[in-house]
Amino acid sequence: MQAAPSNAMASPWRVPITFLSGSRSAPEQTPIKTMFDMLADSLRICGEIFWQPQSASISMEIESMLSRFERDEGVRLRHTDRILEYLLQHPELMEVVPVMVEAARRHFPQAQLVMDVYQDPEIEDRYLVLYVRLEQYDESLVERLEKAEEEYLSRLANKEGWIQLTTDFRKPE
Amino acid sequence: MGKKCTNPPIVEAVCEFRLVQDTRWDLTVPGLFYEKVKDSFPDREQRVVQEVEVIQEPQGLQQRVRTAEHVLLFAPDRKMLIQLGPRLLVINVLKPYPTWREFKPRIEMAWEALQQVVEIKGLERVGLRYINRIEFPNQDVKLEEYFEFYPFVGQRLSQQVVAFISGVEFSYTDDRDRCRVQLRSAIGEEKVAVILDIDYFVARARAVGVSETLGWVEEAHSRVEEVFEGCITDKLRSMFGEEVA
Repeated sequence: MQAAPSNAMASPWRVPITFLSGSRSAPEQTPIKTMFDMLADSLRICGEIFWQPQSASISMEIESMLSRFERDEGVRLRHTDRILEYLLQHPELMEVVPVMVEAARRHFPQAQLVMDVYQDPEIEDRYLVLYVRLEQYDESLVERLEKAEEEYLSRLANKEGWIQLTTDFRKPE
Repeated sequence: MGKKCTNPPIVEAVCEFRLVQDTRWDLTVPGLFYEKVKDSFPDREQRVVQEVEVIQEPQGLQQRVRTAEHVLLFAPDRKMLIQLGPRLLVINVLKPYPTWREFKPRIEMAWEALQQVVEIKGLERVGLRYINRIEFPNQDVKLEEYFEFYPFVGQRLSQQVVAFISGVEFSYTDDRDRCRVQLRSAIGEEKVAVILDIDYFVARARAVGVSETLGWVEEAHSRVEEVFEGCITDKLRSMFGEEVA
């Protein structure tokens, strides 16, 4: 296999396929053609073959949602396997998480958003967390977080899972 | 998949029944159904889902988005659930997969419970789908070492593959059934992973009678197993902790 150009993402696959979306490490770049566009093209081209619906999979719905966050909202996923596992346990959150991400992006347009699962080290408590990372933090932070939270908090009523918008006061990576 | 594995790749198995449009369905169905299954699926939640419907029309494929309310009924450990929507019954089992011997009776129970509360006129679609997420310990993966089904692109094309999707549909039982197999790269930056997605389904509405449905599900499971075993190499089997003959 040829060496990767210095500005290209290292390729884990030893079988060449086709052209790709934008680099996952640079979410601010506009993808040339995303996997979803490719899939949509395939659907149009091969409509006769693949037009039938697929069985309603929760895990694929979650993957698709997370992929959309990475691609469209520039969300970085940390411990993807834990995020998947948490959402598989709490699929009822899938209608709330996009609202949280959109609210975070709107209130913090310049921020880096990082999604992870918070695990309390002392008690059995886990929840999905979205960290807002800014170049500079000021006193407006808490108010902005609260305003973003207001947009989705009521939707968490009667849901067993929990999601939290917060910051870890780190600089964007 | 039917063999005992110490590290099974299944993240989800789905059995789905879509009923024909002339089956009467009203707002009382979810409540009546819940009464039948609440001992095994006591936790009830709701979610609104958007479905994209692709319809073949004279001017080409048309897409429509529709919203539907689904009731989710969870088993106490939340590893198994039933989704009930208008003319739709789905039984999902999540990782860790409990074996077919445990999954099948839940499918039977849900199907029989639905038959007790709705007069089912026919099936538009039945599907049995297994989704496998396979994570590799190394960063440099040669797909051909692990799979008997993978995308091939010649040497004159770029070797820098960051993501891929490949899929094929196989025909079974005089084209009554189809099996859609997809292999694609999975999301996540920390580990190199792929999704092997096997969806076996009835390709034509009413091709399987209501009374034949559970027999079809058993047959579908056998086919899915065959396809899964046909997709992987012994090297991958050993990663699952599966016994290699």
